[in-house]
Amino acid sequence: MKSTTLALLAAAAALTLGCANPERSRDLNNPAVSAVTLAQQVCSNCHGMTGTSVSPNFPNLAAQVEVYFSAQLKGFKGHNRQDPAGFEYMWGLSRSLTDEQINGLAAYYASQPPKRQPIEGHRGRFDTGKAIYESGVPDKGVPACTGCHGAQAQGNAGFPRLAGQHADYLVKQLVVFQRTDERPEGAIMKVIAHELTQQNIDDVADYLQALPNL
Amino acid sequence: MNTTTNPVIDTMASRLLGLLMLTMLALALMPGRAQAIPTFNRQTGQNCVACHAGGQFPELTPYGRLFKLTGYTIGQRTVPISAMAVASMSRVADTSKSDDPAADFQKNGSVVFATASLFLGGKITDNIGGFAQITYDPYATQSADGRFHGHTNADNIDIRFADRFIGKQHDLIIGLSANNNPSVSDPWNTAAAWMQYVPVPSPTSSRFIDGNAPYPGFGAGGNLGGLSAYAFYNQTIYAEFGGYRSAKGLFSFMSAGLANADVTRLRGLNPYWRLAYNHEWGAHNLMLGTSGMVARAYDDPLDTSDPASTHHFRDLAIDAQYQYLLDPHSVTAQFVYTSNRHRYPGSQADQPVEFVDAAGNALPNTSAADTNHLLRTKLTYVYQAKYGGSLGFFNLTGSVNTAALTAGFDPGTGTINPDPEAQAPSTRQVDGNRSGSPATRGWTMEAFWTPMQNVRVGAQYTLYNRFNGSAKNYDGFGRNASDNNSLFIYTWLAY
Repeated sequence: MKSTTLALLAAAAALTLGCANPERSRDLNNPAVSAVTLAQQVCSNCHGMTGTSVSPNFPNLAAQVEVYFSAQLKGFKGHNRQDPAGFEYMWGLSRSLTDEQINGLAAYYASQPPKRQPIEGHRGRFDTGKAIYESGVPDKGVPACTGCHGAQAQGNAGFPRLAGQHADYLVKQLVVFQRTDERPEGAIMKVIAHELTQQNIDDVADYLQALPNL
Repeated sequence: MNTTTNPVIDTMASRLLGLLMLTMLALALMPGRAQAIPTFNRQTGQNCVACHAGGQFPELTPYGRLFKLTGYTIGQRTVPISAMAVASMSRVADTSKSDDPAADFQKNGSVVFATASLFLGGKITDNIGGFAQITYDPYATQSADGRFHGHTNADNIDIRFADRFIGKQHDLIIGLSANNNPSVSDPWNTAAAWMQYVPVPSPTSSRFIDGNAPYPGFGAGGNLGGLSAYAFYNQTIYAEFGGYRSAKGLFSFMSAGLANADVTRLRGLNPYWRLAYNHEWGAHNLMLGTSGMVARAYDDPLDTSDPASTHHFRDLAIDAQYQYLLDPHSVTAQFVYTSNRHRYPGSQADQPVEFVDAAGNALPNTSAADTNHLLRTKLTYVYQAKYGGSLGFFNLTGSVNTAALTAGFDPGTGTINPDPEAQAPSTRQVDGNRSGSPATRGWTMEAFWTPMQNVRVGAQYTLYNRFNGSAKNYDGFGRNASDNNSLFIYTWLAY
């Protein structure tokens, strides 16, 4: 009898405590939950506490350009971005976020300093990767990446930061741009990446991932 | 496998065709990608692969572990119901070395609707969520006329309160879990409650498939009433401590549907603990852990009047799990080593046995306690969350106890007849034991295909090198370990 009463009390206490907790909520359908709370309680699970993800399956978000970031989350929410990483992981998570939450997340991640991570690629590819990034592949008409993504690959407005991004993620997205129409907002990249060989893609991805360490 | 004849192959082929047609029908009936999602998927809107490594169930990814440890509260509330069903076919290598093959290997080679489960689960409040499985077994009992009767009862239940304190430098998840099965609260799949795969059908043709081969477990069993508290610090150190008692009073729903005679009755509160180290780097993650439980269970669940009539269990485990998860590859290596000590009630210890040894001398009395050791390992690879294969190994060793004997030499005949067929007091059981040893060792290999995230088709083959102490004649009637080699083909559906 005594333990039953205790259990009931514990259950009642838990329910009372648990009813509303917007400071530490993981509710993706509550406009009252702040972007910072969502970033910490939900996004951090894959993207790290400050936007630097451990697993290359998930892109780093630290220091990502705000405009680009907002556009991506809205793209996931509206199902305009249809690459596997998008629909498998992000469509559902973003479906009920408000514009305010999305913009708040963009501001939060843009303000996180990028962290150096271990080099993931092959050092032997860095020189050719750098050449492609800075000068393009002139004989195939591939323009330099610096024009939009910046000299240090820091990104600009609608063009994402690429420096320090996981190489595997960069490769997969370049392949998505090149071979599919799953990212219509990045249609310009389809034209640019069209002539890149798999070797070119690997080289430039490895270079960009290592860039903050070079 | 035994020698097969053409008619057997023909029957097998037609049954496999039946299973395949069932799968195709299910595929046709399934709605498209966006809608066909069980309850947690509806809650987060994510695909199965977000939480389940390579889309295999129930193995969790690092994110799936955090989803569970934060109390299933990520996402938004939704219809908290989903369902699962399994159709399968089991076939044992040799069914002839049996007194009654129809009973010993029910439905051998037949496609059966193996089991179905209803899941209630999901977010309840910002801090509370749950997972409850209610399972229907169409072959739970068999009446004298040979007909099977179905039964439904509470399966795994885990209801949580969790909170997470997270900042730039620290991350602390704490929680309470009310659950009915020690380690069901655990987020790693080398935990006893989770190192299991597709549910095991109950017709006896499935008695030797991998799911019925030795697996790590706690002597106290399931359908208990338990409460545990846990903490996960910086995604590195996980600690959990809990207590289990009989599922009575407030906790009686945790054994709902089970007859009183089938419910484990524990004496008092019984401790369970778990400690694990977790490390993630790049696409890799590794867990090294230990867990244990001490429990006292009444011999007769219907009579809990005598404290001396309890079994004492002391279970210790060390486990490790490594995952490499980077689309499209998923690699998992699992390792568990357990030490289980079982002390019998005084009335069952030190009892004489009816058999004698080959020379006619009395055998030792039954043991007061047994100690078993089990090693289980498994390596799995899944490509594109669609095509997978695994190789598993199990090796159970343990103390010899004459209480386990089902066959031996008869003291009554005067002469010892080594012909196993002539051992009068023995009862021939296909899972019998002439050595008193539990030693069982074997391998399991599986190939599976997940055409869409709600459907999985698999073929599994389990090979035995040793069964109940011997490779040859383990039952005393000429049945060999390899006679138990089993083929298991299944189709798993979830909605």
